[in-house]
Amino acid sequence: MTVVDPLRVRRIVAALLLLAGFVIVLFRLFNLQVLQAGELTLKAERQHEKAITLQGGRGTIYDRRGKVLAINLEVPSVFGVPTSLEDPTPVARELGRVLHVRPDEIEKKLKQERSFVWIARKVDPEQGRRLQRRPLEGIGLVLEGRRYYPKGTLLSHVIGFAGMDGDGLEGIEHRYDSYLRGEKQMVVLQRDALGRSVFPKGFTEQGPSSGHSVTLTIDETIQYIAEKELEEAVAASRAKGGTIIVMEPRTGAVLAMALVPTFDPNSLGSLYADRWRNRAVTDVYEPGSTLKVLVAAAALEDKVMEPQTILFGERGSMTVANTVVHDHDPSGWMTFAQVLERSSNIGAVKTALALGPDRLSRVLRAFGFGERSEIDLPGEAAGLVRDSRSWGRRSLASIAMGQEIGVTAVQLATALSAVANGGWLMKPHVVAEIRDGKGKAVYQASPQVRRQPISEGTAQKLTRILEGAVSRGTGKSAAVSGYRVAGKTGTAQKVDPRTGTYSTTLFIGSFVGFVPAEDPRLCILVVIDEPQTEAWGGVVAAPVFRRVAEQVLPYLGVTSQAPVRVALAEGESIGVRRAGRAGP
Amino acid sequence: MSRSGSDAGTLGLPWPTSASPAHQRMGPDASVLLVAMVLALLGLVMVFSASAVVAGNRFHDPLYFLKRQLAWLAFGFLLLHVASRLDYTVWRRMALPMVACSAMLLILVLVPSIGVAVKGARRWLRVGPLSVQPAEFVKLVVVVYLAAYLAKKEERVTEWIAGLLPPLIVSGLLGGLVLWQPDLGTAVVIGLVTMGLLFLGGARLRHLTGLVLSGLALLFALVRTSPYRWQRLMTFVDPWKDPTDAGFQMTQSFLAFGSGGLFGIGLGESKQKLFFLPEGHTDFMLALVGEELGLLGTAFVMVLFMILVFKGFQIAGRAREPFGRYLALGITLLLGLQVLINAGVVTGLLPTKGLTLPLMSYGGSSLLVSLVGIGILLSISRDRQGGRRAGGFASWVAAR
Repeated sequence: MTVVDPLRVRRIVAALLLLAGFVIVLFRLFNLQVLQAGELTLKAERQHEKAITLQGGRGTIYDRRGKVLAINLEVPSVFGVPTSLEDPTPVARELGRVLHVRPDEIEKKLKQERSFVWIARKVDPEQGRRLQRRPLEGIGLVLEGRRYYPKGTLLSHVIGFAGMDGDGLEGIEHRYDSYLRGEKQMVVLQRDALGRSVFPKGFTEQGPSSGHSVTLTIDETIQYIAEKELEEAVAASRAKGGTIIVMEPRTGAVLAMALVPTFDPNSLGSLYADRWRNRAVTDVYEPGSTLKVLVAAAALEDKVMEPQTILFGERGSMTVANTVVHDHDPSGWMTFAQVLERSSNIGAVKTALALGPDRLSRVLRAFGFGERSEIDLPGEAAGLVRDSRSWGRRSLASIAMGQEIGVTAVQLATALSAVANGGWLMKPHVVAEIRDGKGKAVYQASPQVRRQPISEGTAQKLTRILEGAVSRGTGKSAAVSGYRVAGKTGTAQKVDPRTGTYSTTLFIGSFVGFVPAEDPRLCILVVIDEPQTEAWGGVVAAPVFRRVAEQVLPYLGVTSQAPVRVALAEGESIGVRRAGRAGP
Repeated sequence: MSRSGSDAGTLGLPWPTSASPAHQRMGPDASVLLVAMVLALLGLVMVFSASAVVAGNRFHDPLYFLKRQLAWLAFGFLLLHVASRLDYTVWRRMALPMVACSAMLLILVLVPSIGVAVKGARRWLRVGPLSVQPAEFVKLVVVVYLAAYLAKKEERVTEWIAGLLPPLIVSGLLGGLVLWQPDLGTAVVIGLVTMGLLFLGGARLRHLTGLVLSGLALLFALVRTSPYRWQRLMTFVDPWKDPTDAGFQMTQSFLAFGSGGLFGIGLGESKQKLFFLPEGHTDFMLALVGEELGLLGTAFVMVLFMILVFKGFQIAGRAREPFGRYLALGITLLLGLQVLINAGVVTGLLPTKGLTLPLMSYGGSSLLVSLVGIGILLSISRDRQGGRRAGGFASWVAAR
């Protein structure tokens, strides 16, 4: 069969034609990428130099009532086109006079062999107006956004701040940067008839579009109250600093998050860089006695203890695993409820020992300790809860007193909110809503349940005990007249960084509670770091709780629920007993 | 040993030593699959590199395009697998219904309330959350139809009225509808593939020359009557003349290739993609490959496509049935021509046409069609002619 199939010949012809096409393309690629590479690279570089990036205005940040917390101001920036200038010296002199910059520095910039150079960015609007009135050759103006925080130091740790190039560096500004940041637009400067670089026609009217606006769950008024009270308390106790978190127990929405010392995001000095950190989410501390609330929650949930269970207080001193545990206020026989009221270390230690490591650690972890709360703020710490397999009796005793465990303020406030709302651990959040440039909502926060660490019954029992801790126990000064308050004090020794042991002079005094106890609207955590006058949480932190609650409750229109207490001399105990009967 | 007499192939052993040829199943051509996968994955990487910044700005999600392309790729490989397992002769029976179906879709896409218009062209149909481009599928349908026609009427193709006219009418109709969108690039591909297949099917050169000449005349008329096409053509003649407007893409593509050089400036490092090459993840992907991976990258891509084309012709030559042969040829032509046109456009050898780089560019419809085409090729490759069935040393010895 030597007859050539004509169709086969055609196939070969077609294949060769196609392959020839590929060879041509390969030659062309070789030509472009090797032979012309140098010339084309040069052209590309020149072009990239002529391209500048402009950013649309950053979105506004509002509080939950629509009050502005961060806003963009349009301010002029000055640029020069050195290649179109014949003699930069007089121009530099004139510019220096208007901008209050040394002329020789400007001249140096204008003498570069470049077609675009920034001379001064985000200058005073008045300076911009003067330049606009008397335009200089080779000098142009363009509007750029500068961030302004009208409330100054208020809420600075949560809002954070944005840098010169409009990128969020801390706080909400950082976490929600991709929403807040305006559209980035690259502009290639074009040449006009005189060969000068200019912005494309119609550019200044259009510009890049601005970013989304963010509405926080924070209420500016509550934030103001919290910050004011915290500052006063920190000053009065000559403390190093302090934190207040006000949370809505049912939703996990943060109403206020105050930190002292503060900073002003409008005038940042690099000197105070460690002040920018939002310590309520980034820093871990040992909670001290406030953790007893959650040890008690574990005991009640697992039916290891009931409020009426009788424990022996060892008259104020007990040895556990070769260490002596003391009570501040020695007791004999007491009920489990009184353990929390008196903040008895011995009672708490006995409870933890009765629970054992597995059950205690399970409930603590269920309350969110040792994991991030996933609050929408950057840099959150997970806290420190060691593996329960390594908990000996000594560790159990320590944890019962809130030592050997590291928590963040947000974790503790969220856990107490769960006690307040009937056992639901919510996801804490500070952003309520995000709207795009046209006002359309692109995100709306809704309450999110993470899990239910304790039953509603346990939460109710615990609430009643915590009410006792405020009405009869260590937290008396947190009581708000006319409202039922549930809460717990805490006084933790800090670890002295020099010796690595518990310090006898450095303390953290704290109080965490919620109000009104029968229908909690606020969960408030007050932490005072290293108070110098008094260490006790019941003395330094509990009164701050009261002062904040006293002002915020009427502001929110929460009405008083316990008029009996005002009317009767023995009102407190009547009120509590009546509430006890209402339970299961 | 009573059975040994009846079994001629048994060498006195208690089991048969000759297997029946009918039971020998050939595996699909693995090299075609491998090349297609490498191209598709490289395309995925380049889609991400090209689109991350744009997607981050526009959708607050740098992975926006990557995720979608990945989903289409997964679906595409599933279809490829199915098509490669399917007996390819089913396509012959489906040829005419598919022609009718695509004509309908092409008409639907022109209806203003149904077709989605982007930049003045109605090319997309929205199906729930997905956008599909019927014109992409039409290319494959034309190939299937022509293969079926040529296989059946192989003898008559030398005639004019009875042989050439029917396929020309079908191709012309579908191509005309595509042109209406307007999508000149795809219409040209359809025309070229039709010519190519008719040539391979044995049409008279005299007839074909006439057709090509009248096609060129039509093309010129189309370009001359449309200002933007004419401008594109003029831009092609001298792209540097007006580098701020029509020649912009062209010159930007050159700059990308040039600054890539031999080894490229590094994956993800492209400066052109930020602003100058907005189509870096679709039509101008090769330019981006050139910038980031250099001549090494572009040559690698081109050589892979060459292997694909070569393998396609090989599979066609070995196909047992005429239908399989023409189908393989058509798919190979389709892929090869589109790659050549796309590469020609981005390197400035051809005037600007909106055509994707098969297997690599972002776009679900284009990707699906390419992958299904490869799947059909694989299916044809499984069904090879007798003598060349088994490769390797053993068969070579056996043939001596």
